[in-house]
Amino acid sequence: MKAIGGLFVAAVLAAAIVALPGGSTASGQDGGKNVLTIGMTQGIDSMNPVRGVTVAAFEAWNMVYPTLTDKAAKDFGVIPGLATKWKGSDDGKTWTYTLRPGMKWSDGQALTAEDVAYTVNRSRDEAWLNHASTTGNLTATATSPTEVVIKSKVPDPKLPTMDVYIVPKHVYEKYDAKAITKWNGQTDVAGGPYSLAEFKKGQFARFTANPNFWGGKPAIDEVVIRKFNNADAMVAALKRGEIDFVQNVPEGQYLNLQKDPDFVTLEGRQGGFDEFAINMGDGLKKPHPALLDPKVREAIAHAIDKQTIVDRVLRGIGEPAEAVSPSANPDWTPDIPEDQRFDFDLEKSKQILDDAGYKDTDGDGIREMPGGGQPLKFRYAVRSESDPSPRIAEFITGWLKEIGIATTQKTYDDGQLTEVIGKGDYDMFVWGWTPYVDPDPMLSYFTCDQVSSDPDDPTNYYNDASLCDPEYDKLYKAQKIELDPDKRMEIVHEMLTRFYSHAGYLPLYTQGDLQAYRKDRFTGWQKQPDGIGPVLFSNTSPSYMSLKRASATSSDAAGSGDGGGDGGGGSGLIIAIVAVGVAGAVGLVWARSRRGSADERE
Amino acid sequence: MSPRYVIGKLGGSLATLLFVVVFNFFLFRIVATDPVANLFRGRNLTDAQRDELIHEFGLDGSTLHQFWAYVQQTASLNLGRSYSTNEPVMSEILDAAPATIWLVGVSAILSAVIGVAIGIVAGWRRRSKTDYAATTFTMTTYSMPDFWLGMLLLSLFAVSLGWFPVGGIEDPTSTATGPALWADQAYHMFLPALTLTLGYLGEYTLVMRSSLLDTMREDFLVLARAKGLRDVVVRNRHAVPNALLPVVTLAAINFGFVLSGAIAVEAIFSWPGLGLATYDAINGPDLPMLQGLFLVFSASVIVFNLFADLVYAWLDPRVRQA
Repeated sequence: MKAIGGLFVAAVLAAAIVALPGGSTASGQDGGKNVLTIGMTQGIDSMNPVRGVTVAAFEAWNMVYPTLTDKAAKDFGVIPGLATKWKGSDDGKTWTYTLRPGMKWSDGQALTAEDVAYTVNRSRDEAWLNHASTTGNLTATATSPTEVVIKSKVPDPKLPTMDVYIVPKHVYEKYDAKAITKWNGQTDVAGGPYSLAEFKKGQFARFTANPNFWGGKPAIDEVVIRKFNNADAMVAALKRGEIDFVQNVPEGQYLNLQKDPDFVTLEGRQGGFDEFAINMGDGLKKPHPALLDPKVREAIAHAIDKQTIVDRVLRGIGEPAEAVSPSANPDWTPDIPEDQRFDFDLEKSKQILDDAGYKDTDGDGIREMPGGGQPLKFRYAVRSESDPSPRIAEFITGWLKEIGIATTQKTYDDGQLTEVIGKGDYDMFVWGWTPYVDPDPMLSYFTCDQVSSDPDDPTNYYNDASLCDPEYDKLYKAQKIELDPDKRMEIVHEMLTRFYSHAGYLPLYTQGDLQAYRKDRFTGWQKQPDGIGPVLFSNTSPSYMSLKRASATSSDAAGSGDGGGDGGGGSGLIIAIVAVGVAGAVGLVWARSRRGSADERE
Repeated sequence: MSPRYVIGKLGGSLATLLFVVVFNFFLFRIVATDPVANLFRGRNLTDAQRDELIHEFGLDGSTLHQFWAYVQQTASLNLGRSYSTNEPVMSEILDAAPATIWLVGVSAILSAVIGVAIGIVAGWRRRSKTDYAATTFTMTTYSMPDFWLGMLLLSLFAVSLGWFPVGGIEDPTSTATGPALWADQAYHMFLPALTLTLGYLGEYTLVMRSSLLDTMREDFLVLARAKGLRDVVVRNRHAVPNALLPVVTLAAINFGFVLSGAIAVEAIFSWPGLGLATYDAINGPDLPMLQGLFLVFSASVIVFNLFADLVYAWLDPRVRQA
C-alpha cells in the first residue's frame, strides 16, 4: 500500500516534470499561422444577430457580417462598404446605393443587392432585436444585382449610414420567423473579413480569414475570442503570451501593465460616462421638495469635485466631464461655456443656499426648508454592481455634509435601482451610459415620453433624470429631421447645454474600456475614434483589417520558439501518460508478487 | 441485507428528493424579481414581445399554477429554458457535465487513493516523523480555501514558472483531435485537478489514520502478530481492510459532490463545467439554470448517499441488523 501511494505521488510529479518543456504555449504565430487571440471576461451569448446582446457577440458579428456602408476609423464618417457610391433624393428619404460587382459570400455564393434588400425588409417585418432600430422605417428594393434603393418613411438624418449586419439570404431563409429567434447562428458563411470556424460555448470562438471578403483577405489568418472567468488569470495569459490582447483589464493590473515596456495599455473612450443624477420631480412620485428648486441643485453641483473623484476613486483612470456625451464621436458633445459651469466651490454652494433661504435654524448642522421645517436630508441610492459607486458616495455625501445637507444611503442592485428610479423613490444616484455613434438614441432618453409614468410598469422608461422639459423635446424633434449634419450638430449642442443648465444630471467623468496588448506580436492597431478610442471592440473595429504580424525581430524568434514548445507540450504529455501507465503496471505487478510471497509464508 | 432495509433507504431518498424538488421551486421564487426586465434592461421591448417572453419563461399565471407546471415539467425531465441562452437547461447541463465529471472525478479518485495511503502510513507509524509530516502537510492543504490554493498554484505554476496554461480546457488555436486533443485537455486539467486533489486529501488521511488507530487496538491484531506474521502482512491483510469502512462512507459522500464540488476552482481556471455554469447562472441571475443545477446537484448527493448506505450495510453486517 505504501509503495503504491508512493508511486502515485511519483507519477504526479513525473507528469509535472515531463510536461515542463511544453509549458509555454504561444498565440500569435502558431505553426506558421498568424493567430490573434483576444481575452475577455464576457462570452459571446449567441452568434445570431437576431438573438445576441453582449459586446462580445457584436464584435464577432463585426467580423462575420458585412455592412452596406462602413465607418471611418477617424470619426465614424460614412465610407464605402458593400456599396461604393450612394446618392440621396432631394427630400433625403430615398437613397440609391451602388454595390461592388462580383462579390461573394465565403461559401462562393454571390453576394448581391438581393441579400441587402432581404435583410432590410425581413428585419423590419420581424422587428429583429439589433436591426429594427435602424430598419424600422425602411423599405429596400434590389433594382439590379449591384443596386439597391432604400426608402425611409420619415426624414432620417442617420442615412446614408447603413450599418446593420447584412445576412446571407440563402442561409437565413431556411429559418422562419419563429425558428430564427431560436437558432444559434453558427454558420461558416460570412461576408465580412472573417468566418466562424469553431464555436465552443462559454470558452472561445475561432474565426478564419475570409478569402472572398470584398476588401481582400485580411493579413491575420485567424482570430480567437477567448472567455476567461478570472480576470487576473487573463492578464497572466497575456504576460506569458497565451493571448495577445485583453479587453477590460482590471484597474490594478492596468496600472501595473502601464509600467511594463512590453505592453501597450490604453483607455479606449467612446463617450461612456457616469453621471450624478438628482430626482427632478417629473415622474411617479415627488422627490424631496428642496430638489425641485434649481438653486438647491446648483448648490449641490458646485459641491462635487470631479477631479478628486477621478484621482482618488478611479486612480486617475478617466477624465472629468461636463455635458452629456451623446455619441462615441466627441464632436457631438458641447463645450459648456466657463461662466455656465458648476465648478467645485463649497463657499459658493453655501452662499447659494443661504441666499435662497435654506438655513440651519435648529443648529444641528443641517439646513432646513425656507422658514424652518423639513431638514435637507436626501435619499442617496448606491449601486452594489458598480465598484466605484460606494466610494463615490462617500466623497459626495462628505461634501454635501460640509454645505449642510444630510443624506441617507441605501444600496441596490441594478434591477432594484431601475425600479426605484421608475417609482421615483429616490433623491440621487450615480449611474452611467455608453452612447451609440448616432446621437439620437441618447438624446431620446431625456424626452418627456421617456419619463416613467405607469405605476404598474415602473421599469418601462429611459429618462432617469425624471425631468420633462418641453423646450428640449422641441429641439429633439428638430434634430431628428435635420438633414444638414452641421445644423443638426448645432441643435444637439444647444439641447445638451440646456439640459446641463438644469443642474440635475451631472456627468462626473468619462471613462473608456481598459485595453492592453503585446508589442511583439502585431502592428497596425487603429483607434476608433482617432486618438482616444479603443483599438478593438470599437464599433466597426477596423484593426482586424489593418493588423499585421510584427516584423521579424528577436521577439519574433521567441514567438516561433514558443510555437515549437507547444508541440513539445502535447508529446511531453503523451510521454507522461505512458510513464504513469507503465509505472502503475510495474507497481501492481510488484505489489502482487510481494503479496504472493507473503501468502506463501503465511 | 433485508428487503426492508433496502426499501426503507430507498423511500427515504425518494422523500428527500421530492422535498428538494418542492423546496427548489420556492427558494428561487424568494429572490426572483422580474427576469424579463432584468434580462432586457436597456432595450425597447413591445408589450407583445414582453408578454411572449413572460409566457415562454413560464412566469404567467398564479404561483400555484406555475408550481404545477414546474412539477409536470420536472417529472418529464424538462428543466425549462435558460434565461440567458434560451437553450433547454437539460442540454446546457449535459453539455457542461463531462468537463466537471472528468475534473472532479479524477481529483476525487486521486485524493482518495493518495489520502488513504498517507493515512495508513501515518497511522501505522503514529508519532513518528513521517506521521507528523504527513498530518501537517495534509491538514495545511485541507485548511486552505480551494479558491485561494487555486490562485496560489496558478500564480506559481502558470504565471511565474509558465509550466501550465492559466485556464480553459483546451488550446483554442489548435485544431488537434483525438489523442492529441486529449493530451492537451489533460495538460489543461493538471492545475485544477491538483488544487482539488490537495484540497480533498486531508479528509481521507485523517479519517483513515484515526480509523486505523482504532483498529490497531483490536484483539485480532494482537492475535495476528502472535501468529508471527510480518508487520506488512498484519497491516495490509488484517488492519487496513477493517479500518477502511469509514473511508467508504466518506468516499461515497464525496463522490456525491463530484458534480457540484468545484464551483470556485472552475471559476478560477475558467474550466467550462457545471461549476462555471453555476457561477455564470448566479451572475445572471439565470433562475431556471440555477434551479436545474441545484436539482441535479442534490440528486447526485442523494443517490450517492443511498449508495453509501447500501454498500456500508453490505460491508458491515452490524449495520443491516441494527
